[in-house]
Amino acid sequence: MGVSSRLAIGELKDHKRIYIIIIIVIALTMTSFMLENAYLNYMMQVVDDTTKLVTSDAIIVDEISTLRDLYGTTVELKNAGEIGRRIERDLPGYKTSVRVTAQGTYGLGMAGEAVDACTIQGINPKKDSYISGIAGKIVKGRFFRDDDPILRGHTPLYIEIKGPGNLPDFTWGSGEKLFEDEEPYPIIAGVAAAKTHPSVDVGKTLTITLSVSGRDTNYASVDVKIIGLYESGTPLLDAVMWFMHADSLREIKRYGEVSGKDFNVPGIGTFKGYNPITIDSDRGDVVIVKAIEPLHKLDPIGHSESVKQTVKEQVPFLTVYSWHDFLIYVAGSMQDVVTIMLWGSIAVTLVLCAAAIKYVMDSIILRKTREIGSLKAFGARDRVIFKIFLYQGLIIGFIAGLLGIIISLVVMNLVNWYGFSVEFIAGTQLKVGFIVNWLTLLIAILLPIILAVLAAAIPAKKASMLSPVEALRKGELAL
Amino acid sequence: MQKKGKPIIKLDSISKKYNEYGVEVNALTNVSLNVFKGEFVSIIGPSGCGKSTLLHCMGLLDRPTSGRVYIGGKDTSKISGKEIALFRGEQLGFVFQNYNLIPRLTVLENVILPGLIMEKDPKALEKKAKILLKEVGIIHRADHKGIHLSGGEQQRVAIARALINEPVLILADEPTGALDSDSSKEIMELLVKMNKKRNVTSVYVSHDIEIACFAKRMIILKDGKIAEDAKGKQNDFKQALRRFSKISGG
Repeated sequence: MGVSSRLAIGELKDHKRIYIIIIIVIALTMTSFMLENAYLNYMMQVVDDTTKLVTSDAIIVDEISTLRDLYGTTVELKNAGEIGRRIERDLPGYKTSVRVTAQGTYGLGMAGEAVDACTIQGINPKKDSYISGIAGKIVKGRFFRDDDPILRGHTPLYIEIKGPGNLPDFTWGSGEKLFEDEEPYPIIAGVAAAKTHPSVDVGKTLTITLSVSGRDTNYASVDVKIIGLYESGTPLLDAVMWFMHADSLREIKRYGEVSGKDFNVPGIGTFKGYNPITIDSDRGDVVIVKAIEPLHKLDPIGHSESVKQTVKEQVPFLTVYSWHDFLIYVAGSMQDVVTIMLWGSIAVTLVLCAAAIKYVMDSIILRKTREIGSLKAFGARDRVIFKIFLYQGLIIGFIAGLLGIIISLVVMNLVNWYGFSVEFIAGTQLKVGFIVNWLTLLIAILLPIILAVLAAAIPAKKASMLSPVEALRKGELAL
Repeated sequence: MQKKGKPIIKLDSISKKYNEYGVEVNALTNVSLNVFKGEFVSIIGPSGCGKSTLLHCMGLLDRPTSGRVYIGGKDTSKISGKEIALFRGEQLGFVFQNYNLIPRLTVLENVILPGLIMEKDPKALEKKAKILLKEVGIIHRADHKGIHLSGGEQQRVAIARALINEPVLILADEPTGALDSDSSKEIMELLVKMNKKRNVTSVYVSHDIEIACFAKRMIILKDGKIAEDAKGKQNDFKQALRRFSKISGG
């Protein structure tokens, strides 16, 4: 151990009371930072997991659609499959999946149950499962299988009714096969929906009225069978977002070759064909894109915007939304504001701690002027004196950071052990959890060190620059 | 008195000016002085005559406004601040009026401190420090904190500390200024003993005639100039002081 570090430790021992107070204040500030940051990380993870079920890293829609359209009204990309393949070819490492979307209403005519809405995301189970991670979120029942009755193998009965006067034209699809019994479409619902609707559970069948063409007011009434329940972590989205096979929705939305005759019933409308649809798997509503995982998640928003830009360059005539655009759409900028507020409050506390360190050291130096003069007389160079005070800052910062981490980890474990949860929408509970990542830990240890070293550097420099004779003279006067 | 070749320290016409509250003060004016190996020199003079300034210039704690300071034949005006610190640590030992022990350190730790600053081996330093503490008669208090010692004891520790790096010159600024007469005498006897035993060159400042008379050479300063440079024994010094009193009208 060098003379500077020996003397620095001695100084710390000499002034342990004031330094302990400073260390505790910094440690508690870092505890607060750790807890809030780890909770934010957890929330971000939940939001991330949930919102990425809808958008993954980016989503491509047609040129006129807005984010609201992702919930299921009419958006359509006739060459969605081709767009996806092109992106996978031109952007190595990127993965895409074509989705078909619709809005649904269920609970109509069910005694004791509210009528509720859901947005149906038609997915390609194999590709989408990798991109959005939905398969890993099933908590009851199962995910889609190859032998599921994805297609009913017929064209549902659609009736197009010409709206009288200035009312819009209206299309009604019965969703029932006319001449024989049929399997309902398999569907995956959210746990939150199951908690609030007794008729929503694995194995149950219910009728959903689907708005398959929001702008043109086209509807279809279809039977679905719930094969699984998923949980994303955000009960609100779990309650409203359901998943079907994309081909099921293609059949319902008639994305393919429709054959058969038109039957005109005077005064009612036109019955459109009875033959099965030849599904066009390239047709879809949106293309979701998963980018290459970044090396770090220091700047998730920046990464999201960069992915958006990269994808946009591939499809300049279409609209691209990033995951962050969607996050802002569903949650506003609240998360960003909370993050800014958190950093702001921590910055203020740390600046105050830095000021305290500086002024404590200033006063110590004033009292130790004679000692500094003596050390210089004994041959101590400026850097030896500088290091004595700098090491004190380093030690204070390190202990404070470490203590902050230890306290916060203890608190997090206690909270996890107790299992706190908070009331959420529709009577659901949101678990309070924490995610400590290496970045949080790194900041928690480095920030107080940097701060304390910087705060100590000013008085340290001042002390090192004292001329020995001035220091000895001032020291004598101070006696 | 031993004169061996070149002087240990040579002051070549040094002057030191201060600016205090806009007024220029001449602390030293054209002071030239040679101190040779093994000399035991006292600097005496009335308050404000420049005694401490002279000692600080000799100890490279302060730089003269003009003139040159040679230590061991080396012109110190030509060496950088970094080198001066190193030079000070290796070549010079300091004893202060208020001892300047670091209170939280033990006696032993205080003694080895200048050696640690010079990055010497701590174990060898400890061994040497114990020998020095024995010589100054304070080995029994080696593990005590400096602050718990009497003034005389602290100054003994300070003398041992000044010797730890085996300097060519010991500079003492009023070494008995904070001590009673008995302790003062003991400290001066100790300095005389160290001078004889270790042949270490010593220069000390005192305002006390009795203390100044322990030296083998006495420099009397007045108004920043050397008024008398007397060598010999106590009687010679007393004659010099009488001459000085007549000149200065004291």
